[in-house]
Amino acid sequence: MAGQPRCELCGARAAPLRCPGCRLTYYCDVSHQKTDWVSIHSQICHLLSPVLRPQRCFHSEKDRKDGKEQLLRKQESLIAVALCRAQGFLWAGQPLEAIPAALQALRSSSRLLGPASLRLLPIYLLLAEASTGAGRPRQAAKYLSQAQWIVLQSPDCSAALQSKLHRGLGLFSIAEGNLEQALYHLANDVYLATAEFGLNSVEVSGGYFHMANIFFHQNKMDAANSLYTEVSSLWHAWLLSSLHGHQRALQARAEASPFSEEEEGSEDGTTEAQRERGARMLGAVLELREQGPLQHPGETAQILHSLAIIHYLGQDLAKSIHRAGNSCIHAVLDFGESWDGGGDGGGCCRVRLPLALHCRANIAKINPKNSTRTHLPPSPIFPLPAGIQAKGEEPVTMD
Amino acid sequence: MARPRRPVKGRAGGESSSCGRAMSPVQMKVLPQAVLQSPGEHPKFIEQPLCPPLEFARIHLIKDKDAIDDYLAKNIKGVSTQEAAAYRNSYEKNICIDMLRRGYHKSFSELLTLIQKWNAFREAAGPGSAIWHEKSLEEQPDKLDQLSHFLTGAEAARRAGHYEKVYDNQLSLACCFSDPEDKWLSNYFYEQSYNTAQLVEIDGGKRKAQAYVNMGLIEEEEGHITKAAEHFETFYELTEGTSWKDETGCTYTSLACQHLWRIYTLLADKMLENKQHHEAIKLLIKALKMAKEGGDIKMHGEAAYCLSLAYHFSGENETALAVLNTSVEIFTSLCDSAGLGRAYAAVAKILASQGKSSEAVKYLGEFMKDAESAHLSQSLVDANVLLGKVHNERGNYNEALEYFSQASEAAKALNNLPLVAETESYCGIAKAHQLMVPFNSHVAAAADPLSLQCLLAWKQNRSDMCTDPLPAEPGKETSDSKPL
Repeated sequence: MAGQPRCELCGARAAPLRCPGCRLTYYCDVSHQKTDWVSIHSQICHLLSPVLRPQRCFHSEKDRKDGKEQLLRKQESLIAVALCRAQGFLWAGQPLEAIPAALQALRSSSRLLGPASLRLLPIYLLLAEASTGAGRPRQAAKYLSQAQWIVLQSPDCSAALQSKLHRGLGLFSIAEGNLEQALYHLANDVYLATAEFGLNSVEVSGGYFHMANIFFHQNKMDAANSLYTEVSSLWHAWLLSSLHGHQRALQARAEASPFSEEEEGSEDGTTEAQRERGARMLGAVLELREQGPLQHPGETAQILHSLAIIHYLGQDLAKSIHRAGNSCIHAVLDFGESWDGGGDGGGCCRVRLPLALHCRANIAKINPKNSTRTHLPPSPIFPLPAGIQAKGEEPVTMD
Repeated sequence: MARPRRPVKGRAGGESSSCGRAMSPVQMKVLPQAVLQSPGEHPKFIEQPLCPPLEFARIHLIKDKDAIDDYLAKNIKGVSTQEAAAYRNSYEKNICIDMLRRGYHKSFSELLTLIQKWNAFREAAGPGSAIWHEKSLEEQPDKLDQLSHFLTGAEAARRAGHYEKVYDNQLSLACCFSDPEDKWLSNYFYEQSYNTAQLVEIDGGKRKAQAYVNMGLIEEEEGHITKAAEHFETFYELTEGTSWKDETGCTYTSLACQHLWRIYTLLADKMLENKQHHEAIKLLIKALKMAKEGGDIKMHGEAAYCLSLAYHFSGENETALAVLNTSVEIFTSLCDSAGLGRAYAAVAKILASQGKSSEAVKYLGEFMKDAESAHLSQSLVDANVLLGKVHNERGNYNEALEYFSQASEAAKALNNLPLVAETESYCGIAKAHQLMVPFNSHVAAAADPLSLQCLLAWKQNRSDMCTDPLPAEPGKETSDSKPL
């Protein structure tokens, strides 16, 4: 901090401009200041001064303690805001905008926790991802080396973090075009994630998904298909159990007194980040499945159903209804096919169709204002085999 | 280092140790266990292929400094980051990563599940149990090699839709784990291969048949005889009219007959235990039919023997004797002394129970002659012992002693120590019985001073009744003091 001020964005020594709001950050020119403002500074300008300015001198022990705690809380919230912002830009496909925010998070974190803290790892990985996306591979490599160094320094690093590191390395290798290396890192990622979270957890699906993409690229279709199927079934199973948890929670709340409404939403076990990841991954798989030469209506229905649950849990009811309706159609498609062929697929479809309808009915229950029927996409054009309609409508009451 | 092994269940026997597979734990209660010669061993359907170890993943097993230098000298380029990581990692991790990077995620999850299962078994058994002292699956690189090789092979075949190859891989795995402590693994893969075999269509049901016999054997080992019988029956139906042979050249049909015979005999034994003689006889007739069809003459003889025993238990002695005759004929032609001994013992028992002991003596005399002419020393001992027993029961202790001592001589010639001991104790029994006669008469006539004197004298020297009117023999009462 002491000495000549450095540019907030590039670190250059000559930084004549100063932010008029907080009077704490310096820039070498207007363009840098603008970039930083768009990315993060507009959000944290007012948060910076209480953190960075010299602290007040308290007189009593108690006040000193309180002041310290307050400072800590402020620093934490600063980091959280910056990280959230960076992640948001990255998801929105704007890696360039994400970088200043991530750098801000990195600076604040290392100020708070020291340069070798394991909590810096996710930030470095985020920075690497953003740099790769922005077309700066050398920067990305530098950040990844930093991340690796942190892991090497702490032998008690959890498998979850190591798995994250390997995923970052794998993604970077993909961007470099070194697919064998990428597969190696992603395999490590899957192995470590399994060790931490268990075989059937969604945390494992990320590694599988990227591996599937590589196999797809290498034209090893059987491996890719098998992995994609694994990804969608992992998510589907997890989302179904979350949905049941959510419904149980709703029921419990309905039974409890109407005045206790403190905890909102989080008891179903899904976070926004998880939902976002799931929606992105499943969306990608769905796109591939719809473009591919082989049609898998059963699996497509499963993915659509998963997406419907995600939107439903995220309170995005219109999208949810749309997805659920599509899922219905696919399930019926699948069902119809196996009806004609008389194949073995009928069994699972007979399960899936009620599932989709069940989901739709749930939405209707939660949201009585929207009549579900009006929001449904046009009903299937082809004639249904006799008996299906009746069969399909009934299992709505399956819970 | 010697590893403690779990004790192999089943009767003690020499012939089982070679295969290491536990024999059928189902013990027969009524029929003699010795009848079932062949234990429930899985037939050999495939030549066991050996898989090469993974060079890359083995790096970390090099623990010796020189070996590392040697490895480095061979690979002058130095150690890459991946190799360095492989050296740090456990072997299990290397194997898993190798499978994953080739895209075999199902194999990976199956391997992990198996390892977790093993650990769960171990936890459940607790410290001090046999499994507690064994190495975990993770620490046995050779087994991990086999698992990864065949699991990935099976997964690749499944993706391509070649279920017969999936089956072959799973069966290879089942055959790999032949140690008794890996029984659960082998059973697990037999079950998997059974499920896969239901999907195989191109080979005319050959693999399906194999799967059924393997499942049958597993059910039998677990004591589910009825289920096992169902599996073996399906196996039999599938193999009828085929010329399939296993690796040892045995046809599937004869295998089926053999297993069905064994399982029917076991079932019949259960029924005999519950006094359901009629049903047992019905089953044993079925077993006899199977034995005939199987083409194994010895099995045929044993089946006839078991059937005759069942007839005897239900009181139909004439039928029993008639069936026993076939058994005796077969064993004579086979020169099977063990079978002959059992069959003649049954004959003698049946005749004795009918009170026709003279007939029994005649019959056994023939047995002795046959044994002498065929130079079956074991049977000679058996014949003498049986004859001695018959005489002993009739009260002809002198004859009994004679036959028993002949049996003992023959046993000595055989150099079979347990047999010698057994026959000599028979001698001792006969001699004691012999001594009982004069002793009792003397006690009854204790008023007579001569008798009293005799008793007193005997009490003094304990050798023989001195003034015995019967011919006294010098010797001792107990057999164990005799020089062997």
